[in-house]
Amino acid sequence: MRFLMKNNIVKSLAVMLLLCVSMIVQAQVPDAPNPPRLVNDFAGVFSAEQVKVLEDSLVRFSKKTSNQVTIVTVNDLGGMEASQFAYEIGEKWGVGGSKNNNGVVILIKPKTDTKGQAFIATGYGVEGVLPDASCSRIVNNEMIPEFKQNAYFRGVVRALNIILPVLANEYSVEEYEGGELNGIFFGLFIVLVGMLFVFILVYMSSNGNDNDNSRNGNSGTFGGRDQGSDIATAILLGSLLGGGRSSGRSGGSFGGGSFGGFGGFGGGSFGGGGAGGSW
Amino acid sequence: MKKNLFAIVAIVMALSLSSCNYNTLVEKQEAVESAWSQVENVYQRRADLIPNLVNTVKGYAAHEQETLEGVIEARSKATQITVSADDLTEENIKRFQAAQGELQQALGKLLAITENYPDLKANENFRDLQAQLEGTENRITVERQKFNETVKDYNTSIRKFPTNIYAGWFGFEKKGYFEAQAGAEKAPEVKF
Repeated sequence: MRFLMKNNIVKSLAVMLLLCVSMIVQAQVPDAPNPPRLVNDFAGVFSAEQVKVLEDSLVRFSKKTSNQVTIVTVNDLGGMEASQFAYEIGEKWGVGGSKNNNGVVILIKPKTDTKGQAFIATGYGVEGVLPDASCSRIVNNEMIPEFKQNAYFRGVVRALNIILPVLANEYSVEEYEGGELNGIFFGLFIVLVGMLFVFILVYMSSNGNDNDNSRNGNSGTFGGRDQGSDIATAILLGSLLGGGRSSGRSGGSFGGGSFGGFGGFGGGSFGGGGAGGSW
Repeated sequence: MKKNLFAIVAIVMALSLSSCNYNTLVEKQEAVESAWSQVENVYQRRADLIPNLVNTVKGYAAHEQETLEGVIEARSKATQITVSADDLTEENIKRFQAAQGELQQALGKLLAITENYPDLKANENFRDLQAQLEGTENRITVERQKFNETVKDYNTSIRKFPTNIYAGWFGFEKKGYFEAQAGAEKAPEVKF
């Protein structure tokens, strides 16, 4: 009996120790950014311009479709597996909405002295549309070939080019594809243009600043700000995001002026889904 | 008569001491049970992947019969051992974990031999399966961790005063944890 009790004490100590260890491990994942933002380039692989373009498009995407996609780059995984690191960021930051759990974490550990690693972690709600096998293909076929040539931005854009439309099909606040303008689609398109028009009016009157919101739902480009060199990158991203894949698709949803900052993570939960690769 | 008195005193005590505590316990028990069903889901998910994996590997490495059969056998053993959500005792979880651990080892062996077959490794279908399997292992880790957290919360509650006095009367028993096991529980290393 006594032995049994002792055994139990040892066991509970072991469990406590384990919990402590897991807490220490968790402490290595960076805290959620404050103010909240979707692009967290801790490793510094993007230029300021690229960060802005990615951030703007992802914020816009999250407002439009409720899906939250966050990009995190770090130079050090703190001894963790990339999968664990990405999962813990998703869970700790609460990426995605709490109802649909529709968050995605794209983690990149650039190649330094140690091997490069990339991982796409999917929230519970998007495991169905982004199964592990798809994540694996996106990482290995879209991201890593570009990353190998140090083209981190391009690799990420190519990945987003696949991920975003897929997510938008699953959870969308508004119509996203807008490709075939037939029937209901056309009706939605009209509504969308109307809403955009109203929005532009509101935006302009509140801002008093005639920016550039002249784009409509059809332009394949990324009609963003008109600040000089930014536009070159923006167009690149826009064409990749929007029209790059099929000529029939308009990809119009990526236009419009600044929607304001990112409102914050929604408390989405992760279950360990996703896949990655290394180079 | 004495029994009745005992029951009445028990109920009065439970209600007067902390009527809402009972409900909290029910909620926590529900949380444990739902976490358990998630654990079962992810283990089932792994079991479901195996026939496909074995068939794919067979196509390239037919003479690794022994390893393949080891996996199939471990799978059928592991799927036989189920633990119902209202019987999550330490022993039951240990049994469940042991059977799944064996399957994990068998799978690790299988994945290790696939290293010797470049054609297999280049196969798109196999790569997809690998990604799925790896993702499932990650899910298992996550769901086990979440299960342990809810069990810890529940176990702590039933042992706190005054709940500890009456928790047993209403059938709130201590539940078991998953324990980290050296070697057996390590996810098989899958490299691209």
